[in-house]
Amino acid sequence: MGEPLVHLHDVAVGYDPEHPLIVDVDVEIIAGDVIAVLGPSGIGKTTLLRTIAGLVRPLDGHVELGVAPRGGVGYIPQRLGLVSNLSVQANVEMGVRVGLSRWYPPFVAVPKTQQRYAERAMEDLGIAHLADHPVRILSGGQQRRVATAKTVAQRPKLVLADEFLGELDDDNVDIVMRTVRTAIEAQNSAMVMVEHHEALAKQVANRIWRIQDGRLVEELSR
Amino acid sequence: MNRNTAVGVGGLALLTVYLFFDLVGDWGRMAGGVDNLLVFIRESLWPPNWTVLEAQSYPVCEARFEFTCSVAWLGMVETLKIAFVATMLGFVIALPISVLAAGNLSPMAMAVPARVVLAGMRSLPSIIWAVLFVIVFSIGTLAGIFAMTFYTVGYLGKLQFESMEGIKNAPLESAKAMGMTRLETAWLVAIPESANQLLSHLLFMFEYNVRHGTVIGLVGAGGVGLYINTYLKLGQYDKVVALLIVVFLVVLVIDFISMALRSAVNEAGDVERPSWSSIFLPASIASAQHPTPMGGNTSEESE
Repeated sequence: MGEPLVHLHDVAVGYDPEHPLIVDVDVEIIAGDVIAVLGPSGIGKTTLLRTIAGLVRPLDGHVELGVAPRGGVGYIPQRLGLVSNLSVQANVEMGVRVGLSRWYPPFVAVPKTQQRYAERAMEDLGIAHLADHPVRILSGGQQRRVATAKTVAQRPKLVLADEFLGELDDDNVDIVMRTVRTAIEAQNSAMVMVEHHEALAKQVANRIWRIQDGRLVEELSR
Repeated sequence: MNRNTAVGVGGLALLTVYLFFDLVGDWGRMAGGVDNLLVFIRESLWPPNWTVLEAQSYPVCEARFEFTCSVAWLGMVETLKIAFVATMLGFVIALPISVLAAGNLSPMAMAVPARVVLAGMRSLPSIIWAVLFVIVFSIGTLAGIFAMTFYTVGYLGKLQFESMEGIKNAPLESAKAMGMTRLETAWLVAIPESANQLLSHLLFMFEYNVRHGTVIGLVGAGGVGLYINTYLKLGQYDKVVALLIVVFLVVLVIDFISMALRSAVNEAGDVERPSWSSIFLPASIASAQHPTPMGGNTSEESE
């Protein structure tokens, strides 16, 4: 059994204390986990992910993070979180930057070693030839690969991804998942992904969390 | 338009008309006003006195082109220099303050004081700043530079922090979850993401400062306004009109240059890069003439 990276202690998830979306969430995320969160739209899957990411305060209970606050969590929001005016390379290098000291000046280029991490991530995801292109001119699928490269280059202990396989064709889903899986295994990290496509989720995940009736139910654990 | 909207719009219109009549009071005061204006224009303003484009008699002009010794040239060049320096200084000073003032980048405890500073600098018009700095530095360009810089910080800072607050939330959330510092988030996310608007505001501010060069010059803060002030005092209104026409033409040229600069910045591959045709044509027609170079959808479309 791997090391616990996150422990949610009786957490209630939502924005309105009177109407929590999910209650009594008491789960651990262990190194090596690839967890798919399933459930209908609007049930609180994204809010659960944002709560783990520290972007939304739990309405009740608390989230115990066992990873570094800087660089420990890689988050790919549904809208990808890329800086559209910057180049693909600049976006990917943002991922490696959080591996440096917080006092490393943001207006100074990242060191060569970190640059190589970024270049390797771009090569793995097949976007190295787009390195100098501004993100805003890329297609939706290309942008998704940039967001994934940024997180892979970051080498976080916990990857949180919100429907990041959407807009990808089958070949690209394979490339993206293979790269992410390799990175997770190499770093002994874990991943929580919100996914609409149940078949796809079951194919790539080793744990399934289904949200139903305001509760989190663990369905699959292998 | 539904009934509530119609009532609201009608109410506002009535209030405006009422306040207008209330402020004017005695309409009889306007009798003969237009005639007086026409007499003033005919006798004092028109035609413009274009001797302002000729070299001054003293000091003796030694330049190759005599035009460069004219009041219009000397005043306008000084105004442009003051406006350029003040705009750049104002931009550099305003940028960090606007990061502090942006509610999505800084906590309210920092944002509120930063906004108070910007509002304070903006609430005094540039002519009042000019009066203050003329007292400090005496008549001349230094007072003009300081006056314009102070006003620029207040005005540009507000435009900048509003642009930063308008950026999409996803990049900021991603940065926060990753553990990026505030400085990293501002420098690597907020500023590049709002860069087009920041640049647009910078160019607008330069143009604004050129126009206001005529105003602050009135109190002795240098530039073409200083000459306009002199001619006003001497009652030479035809020369004032000539100089105002020069200012108008220069502002027009700057406006065109700023459009060209903005489109040059967007040449880096923007799918919707502005072109000269897009300046004059509606966006739908212009975009049909400039299809997407990569054949991909934009980030907005994908979201």
